[in-house]
Amino acid sequence: MSKPKPRAPATQITGVYKADSVRDVAESLGISNLSEPIGSALASDVEYRIHQVVEEASRFMRHARRTTMTTSDIDQALRVLNIEPLYGHSSYNTPTFRRAPPFPQLPQSGTVYFVEDEEIDFERVIREEKLVLPKPVNWTAHWLAVEGVQPRIPENPPAIPKDNDMDATVKLENGVISTLLPPTPSSPGRPTAAKKPQQPLVKQVLSRELQLYYTRLTSSLLPPVPSEHAKRAAALASLRHDAGLQPLLPYLIQWVGEGVVGSLKEGATSEQDGRVLEVLLDVTAALLDNQSMLVEPYLHQVLPPVLSILLNSTLPPSHATHLRTLSSQILSHILTSHSTTYPSLSPRIMKALLLALISPGKSKGTREGAIRGLISIGKEAVRKGLIEGGGARIIGSEYGSDEGSSPIAAVLDAFRTLQEPSEDPVPLDGQNSADNAVLSQLHEVLGDFFAKKLEKDAAWARGVLGVLPTT
Amino acid sequence: MSATPGPAPPSPDPTPSTSQESVQPTIEAVDRLVFDYLRNRGFRVPEQAVPDGVEGASPDDKGKAPELPPPQTISSEELIRRLAVFSQKPTQPGENALKDSANVLQELSSAGGSINIQNLIASIGSIGAEEILSSDPTDKTEGFRDLEAWVDGSLDMYRPEFRPILFPVFVHFYLDLIQSGFKEAAVRFFSEFSPSLAAAHNSTLHHLSTLLLPAHVQNDELAQRFRNEKYVIRMSRSGFSLLIGWLTEGIGGEDMGSGEGFSGEKGKRGRSAVMRVVNNHLKFDVTTSSTTTVSPTAWEENTGLLSSLIPRTNGTGPTHTNAQAFNSAQGQLKLGPAPMSEELRNETERVLQEKALVEHDPSAQYDIHYTRPQPPPGVVAPSLSDLPPHPPTFKSIDVQREVERVRDAKKRIRLEPSALNNIDPNSPQAANVMARALPSICCYTIHDAPEGVPSCTFSPDSTLMAAGFAESYIRLWNLRGEKLKGMRTNNLRKLKERGGSATRKLIGHSGPVYSLSFDPLSGSAAPPKYLLSSSADATVRLWSMDTLTNVVAYRGHQNPVWDVQWSPMGIYFATASRDRTARLWSTDRASALRIYAGHLSDVDAVRFHPNSLYLATASSDWTARLWDVQRGNCVRVFIGHQGIVSTLAFSPDGRYLASAGEDNAINLWDLGSGRRVKKMTGHTASIYSLAFSTESSLLVSGGADWTVRCWDVKGAGGLPGKRENGMVNGTATPKSREEEGIETTDLVSTFPTKRTPIINVQFTPRNLCLAAGPYLPPDPR
Repeated sequence: MSKPKPRAPATQITGVYKADSVRDVAESLGISNLSEPIGSALASDVEYRIHQVVEEASRFMRHARRTTMTTSDIDQALRVLNIEPLYGHSSYNTPTFRRAPPFPQLPQSGTVYFVEDEEIDFERVIREEKLVLPKPVNWTAHWLAVEGVQPRIPENPPAIPKDNDMDATVKLENGVISTLLPPTPSSPGRPTAAKKPQQPLVKQVLSRELQLYYTRLTSSLLPPVPSEHAKRAAALASLRHDAGLQPLLPYLIQWVGEGVVGSLKEGATSEQDGRVLEVLLDVTAALLDNQSMLVEPYLHQVLPPVLSILLNSTLPPSHATHLRTLSSQILSHILTSHSTTYPSLSPRIMKALLLALISPGKSKGTREGAIRGLISIGKEAVRKGLIEGGGARIIGSEYGSDEGSSPIAAVLDAFRTLQEPSEDPVPLDGQNSADNAVLSQLHEVLGDFFAKKLEKDAAWARGVLGVLPTT
Repeated sequence: MSATPGPAPPSPDPTPSTSQESVQPTIEAVDRLVFDYLRNRGFRVPEQAVPDGVEGASPDDKGKAPELPPPQTISSEELIRRLAVFSQKPTQPGENALKDSANVLQELSSAGGSINIQNLIASIGSIGAEEILSSDPTDKTEGFRDLEAWVDGSLDMYRPEFRPILFPVFVHFYLDLIQSGFKEAAVRFFSEFSPSLAAAHNSTLHHLSTLLLPAHVQNDELAQRFRNEKYVIRMSRSGFSLLIGWLTEGIGGEDMGSGEGFSGEKGKRGRSAVMRVVNNHLKFDVTTSSTTTVSPTAWEENTGLLSSLIPRTNGTGPTHTNAQAFNSAQGQLKLGPAPMSEELRNETERVLQEKALVEHDPSAQYDIHYTRPQPPPGVVAPSLSDLPPHPPTFKSIDVQREVERVRDAKKRIRLEPSALNNIDPNSPQAANVMARALPSICCYTIHDAPEGVPSCTFSPDSTLMAAGFAESYIRLWNLRGEKLKGMRTNNLRKLKERGGSATRKLIGHSGPVYSLSFDPLSGSAAPPKYLLSSSADATVRLWSMDTLTNVVAYRGHQNPVWDVQWSPMGIYFATASRDRTARLWSTDRASALRIYAGHLSDVDAVRFHPNSLYLATASSDWTARLWDVQRGNCVRVFIGHQGIVSTLAFSPDGRYLASAGEDNAINLWDLGSGRRVKKMTGHTASIYSLAFSTESSLLVSGGADWTVRCWDVKGAGGLPGKRENGMVNGTATPKSREEEGIETTDLVSTFPTKRTPIINVQFTPRNLCLAAGPYLPPDPR
């Protein structure tokens, strides 16, 4: 038989209170010759007493119908144990513990935590601060269930697709969610969509109202003839804020995906295509913004259209920059809100972008999209892709002849995220040995083109290279 | 030597042990030393040979026997050499006893071989050879490892039966180590073996891990219970004989290999350590039923420190060893509906008939049977004289209440969750059936209460909601939005207050308010007249809903009062407190009428049986009890929870009790027999509140996992797909018990909320379910 999972608190809790602490207390009381066994015995006893208080406090926590223990529970526990409570700790102003690094002369003493004693300026408090009364307790009522069916209203949590029956656990564990997701959104060659057939789409029965809503929505978003802006804005606002659209989510995502494929397949050069792509991106952004929508299980379907627009070689010229910026913003939004629950998300996207940036034979548009994508992931990604990965060198050699081309602008934007160029640039001095080293590094890492651009500003160049100024 | 009371010599088998005891006094101290020593070394022969040798001195035994009878013939070097084996074990600094013994032995061996055995005994007499042997911490580790290997290596069929042994042996080994001062060894032992014990023991294990000094063990209540009471383990006859076989001969346990692992030195010593615990602290309840027929959760009811949980029958009655025996000895209960006085019934029927005439309602004549409820078959109905005393006359509010009750019964939504059983959830009729089977739930979310809300309740007519807060006040809301106005006497005239709002703060307590209860006297006919509240300040307060002020404070408990509950007919109420008692009070007396004592820990919840004859209490000692309200004695004890029991609910038909608590499970108990009907699991955090629908067919629970769940009371329950085969059962259950969140089949539906722990669920008389809880903002800090 396999051994049961080690779910007991395996970390040994003994020894939280160290014998050293006992000795410190003893010394502060003037007892200098405390022997080792007494110290450790006292520490064990102190720990036992602390546990006693905590165990008592947990009863009060339980009866207060809470799952976090507060200082008031400890106070109550001390009271029933006939000990004077620790006054002055209320749960309304929780003390913030500051961390002090180990004392340099005594590194073995370890990190010390202390409560910050804030100084209050009476003058200022009396003059300026207005006391805000907290909102009084109030209640709202809603239907949690009507004849056994949970209505889709904002007060109820969004329903989770029927095939994973873990409504309660979703909010608990990250691991659970990541297993729900099919493996990779961006790595090629894996039949992600095929692996997970669209069964819930078929099985789930949409109400008539939602079907009507869906047709109205799609027609007002992408009308056959270009129509007024207000209707589209209203539709997007509805997507962004309305609750109860969860059942529509798979359909909407599919609609977006098909729309993007349709537009890009034909080469996507016309003005009309650009507008369509822009709307589709807006829809994606609205879906991600909606608080009552649980997009997470569909991320693998959301990502391909966004990445396609970002990395597609040809976009309608009038919209190209805007579309790439928009899609990189969406990418950044997805990463910030979902990468904690889906840790492999950003490495995978990163990989796809690096591939587009570095591998030979990619078009100008793809390169620019990849750089914009890296900017949206963050500084680290930019550093990795452009500097360590040699992306800047490639761009410089490919498009160096064309000063105004978009990849060049994107690279410079990326450099700006690493380090703002200084107000009054001081050029790198070829005579100075330190500067010379930076200069040679610049040429080596970024290639000649960007090295020339950066050498006029020493601080910027250092910041981009990640070299600490030697002064 | 005889002055040091060493641990009782381990007896390998009950039968030989008796014969051995009779021999014991005749053996000299020296012989006993050698005898024990040899047995510890793994020689079984001396069990027969030594007594023989002492009495008859027959030298025909082969092997060691010839050199036994004259003890002087053992060369002292030989003995020292062998004893030294134990002192040379890798020992920790600070293990005083061992270091001392090592010193002694060192001294002895340096003194040379001429020393005779008497000197040896004399010099180690103050420590005691047996103690040296038994206090070596390594035998505990070895013993437990062997035991675990044996349990895991046993047949699938027996494994669920054997696993419960691990826990008490573990506990006693740990306590032994702590008591003999081997703190480091104890901590290491704990960290090595505690993860493999069943998850159900986690809280107990954590408590034990806080004990680190011998003084703690002496003073800790739980440790003393383990020391002084027998831990009961249920086992089948064949399983028990297998265990005996292992303890004596080391049979079984394929993990270690049957070779030297068990016949060797360490195996034997470890086993004898296990055997000491088994002999001194365990008690086996050997059943005749075969292994396969025992239900998978049965061990919960029959394992543990039961003897103190079972109430003592006062006087000369026999003490019962298990809960079933106690429950069946208590005789029959009167569980039928409460009787109604004839006058009240006639008056109610008259009013109903009048109303029917006025409303031209042809169906009204059928309503009459609602006033004469028939007890379900097999249930005894109490008579009027059985009830606690009530006023002999009735008031108009009583008639109104009864009339309203009949109307409610007529108009209520009928819930039949059992209809769901044979319906395909995807078929078109499913929605229809769902509507009939499942309730509508109205959730009241309390906002802006960051500290949580310890208690919340609704009045029986659903017009008022009261919530008690940690800040010592109670807030009252009128759910219809009408203004709450108190009466004020002004110059002997009663006046309504002017102004007012739909909410009102009631101030009086000086500690968190843990429980609230509206008086049931006006039923659903009119708003309640009184509210009871209990608090950490050890008082219970009665609030008048007319004046909206505190009328009485009931003092008597010495500790926080966790729960308060009105009797179903008013006048009386019951409280549960941290002082381990539940008490019965009458509103017109300042002191308690009855004290129900017997629980071993806090009484966390108290509920009245619908006919007010019985009182159920839930306690932190993991049990629930049923008390006779008037006589004050315990009539049922319900053992089976694996955690603190925090809430209870009686079914309105009076036959069942549901209990739930920190073990995330709901147990349903049959009151008549005292047996567990089933265990319902599915919640992922502790359960705060339970409520039965009016027909007793549906149970609703709310808890800290932010969900409301509906359970089919009549359904068979059990874990999905594992109930057919007994053999499958044996292997499947331990795994499924550990994998939390496995839902039993009788969980009909789950309704998640948005970050709202549900602290109260209750049904209105017309079967609408009300739930309440505070909304927790996502990131409080």
